[in-house]
Amino acid sequence: MSSQALSTPRRTGAPGRTAHASRTGSRRSVGRIVVGVVLAAYAAVSVYPFLWMVSAAFKTNAEVQEGGHLIPHHPTLQTFSDTWNKLDFFDYFLNSVKVTVLTTVLVVVIYSAASYAFSVLDFPGKKWLYRLFLVLLFVPGVVTLLPIVLLESKLDILGTHWGLILPFVNGSAPLAILMLTSSFNSVPTELREAARMDGAGELRIFSRIYLPLARPAIVTIALLTAIPTWNEYQLTRISLNDPHSYTLPIALQTMQSSNVVQYNSLMAAALIMVVPVIALFLCAQRYFVNGLMGAVKG
Amino acid sequence: MTTETGTVRGVRPAGNGHGDGNRTAAGAPRGRGPLGRMREKRKQAAWGYLFVAPAILLFALMGVYTIVYGFSLSFAQWNGFWPEWHWKGFKNYTDLLGGSPTYWPIVKKAATNTLWVVIGVPLLTVLVAFPLALVLNSVKRFQGILRSIYFLPYVTTGIAVYFAWNYILEPGGAINLLLKTVGLGSLQEPQGWLGNPHTALPTMIVVMVWSAVPVAMLLYLTGLQSLDGSLLEAAQIDGAGWLRSTTTIVWPLMKPITVVVILLNVRDSLQGFQSFLIMTNGGPGDSTSVLGLETYRLAFLNELSPTLGLASALGWLLFIAALVVAFINQRAMRRMG
Repeated sequence: MSSQALSTPRRTGAPGRTAHASRTGSRRSVGRIVVGVVLAAYAAVSVYPFLWMVSAAFKTNAEVQEGGHLIPHHPTLQTFSDTWNKLDFFDYFLNSVKVTVLTTVLVVVIYSAASYAFSVLDFPGKKWLYRLFLVLLFVPGVVTLLPIVLLESKLDILGTHWGLILPFVNGSAPLAILMLTSSFNSVPTELREAARMDGAGELRIFSRIYLPLARPAIVTIALLTAIPTWNEYQLTRISLNDPHSYTLPIALQTMQSSNVVQYNSLMAAALIMVVPVIALFLCAQRYFVNGLMGAVKG
Repeated sequence: MTTETGTVRGVRPAGNGHGDGNRTAAGAPRGRGPLGRMREKRKQAAWGYLFVAPAILLFALMGVYTIVYGFSLSFAQWNGFWPEWHWKGFKNYTDLLGGSPTYWPIVKKAATNTLWVVIGVPLLTVLVAFPLALVLNSVKRFQGILRSIYFLPYVTTGIAVYFAWNYILEPGGAINLLLKTVGLGSLQEPQGWLGNPHTALPTMIVVMVWSAVPVAMLLYLTGLQSLDGSLLEAAQIDGAGWLRSTTTIVWPLMKPITVVVILLNVRDSLQGFQSFLIMTNGGPGDSTSVLGLETYRLAFLNELSPTLGLASALGWLLFIAALVVAFINQRAMRRMG
């Protein structure tokens, strides 16, 4: 794995070096096997829980209990459809989609605008506002949980989906501003100046130049908002009372706390929850990786 | 995850933006007098406030109240139902830090566990992610597919996957089965990996590392792919082997990324508790109680006991700890250039 790991392997075909070359060659093939084994091993570690999730979702409860094998002997879709139908999963699913989509859209709209101001425009107090949002990154969510509930009951939005969306959006502020500001910072100043010469206003420069150029960062921040929102559990559990407004994590939680845990139903429900996120990630993956890379390279 | 990503460049963006703004202000109004420049500046400030207004308004609505409320609550005694708070000054803080015979043992145990998590998770994450990124960077074929597979744990981390982990860590679960199949049956945990007080915390650390590796690996991979290849070629011409050039050249160049990975994981290890709440709820006994979880319990699972103020104080202590780590991190980063 040695030389190969660090640089593009170069063919050393010059006569008189054949002995050397073949020795490196065999070492190289041993290296390749080692590399292959390491990569495959960690791939197995990464997917291991999902394999069992899928496995249990296609077993009957009896088969889950007899345990012990990854491939179901009598694969069945019954667990799946039972879980979906009996437990009103479609309603929970829609609630989750609603909360996640609204949160993500608001985060992208509100904080890309704010980040444009932090990156491009000059105004008194900007440095302090920016630092304020940075510090918020370190406020533990648990200390604001109770005040949020009390505040929302005063505002009369406790128990509604807006009562989840507004705190989620606000909580995403530090990360979104950090990432989008750094991304906007790397847009060449000349572009903006040229546009200003041509008489373009701020709104136009923002929407026609900055937003399109920062697309990887925006997709990245959208994913980084959507995934945790989809999975959010603590505030949701404390603030929602009406089962009709439940989102998927809470539905899962109630399934687990019913006296006997039926792992096949629980895993089928977990799979229903996980699959949309995986699909979303696979669709957005290209931008996502570029967005992270852009942020690191600076 | 991206927290850090931001931080990599986030160290300077405020200054950066400032410079940009100044340059524009000076450069744009060509051929106009100081009056025009001032008007230009005022116009820009107005646009600036307009663009940040939604963010500030939302923060004023949801953030200011909750933070101020949470902070003042940390100096009070309250159970959520009493009509009034009882002011205690710094007593909540001193109680938590050794003053109270009831809470000090709980905090001490949770702090010890948290310390293991805060050391173990970042360290193991780096130890797994860096070599993994090195190896992944060396292959050309399947790199995209492998990257996606390795990223799965982050994408799905949350309640669903914690339940899946619970399922495979059960006494009759997949981990024990795996050990038996490969002939290591003696290593099985008959009570399940989370049921034995000695294995529960290490097991939780492994699960957390499993969730943390994807982002760290991706950040390292990014760093590796932007490395200047000529440095390494020069080292190889000088006769440095793979191991040597990795330890003396690549690893030092990756230091900023390592610092970021560690900061993020320290922050999550200090404050995070969702996996503990769902998978172990601190048990068995108090073998997996961590400070984040104790904060949550004091606030929400303590029935009518007046411990909301204590919970809040504990939360703010965690905040201070996280800030201190962030500060040290930034200093270390600056020192390394």
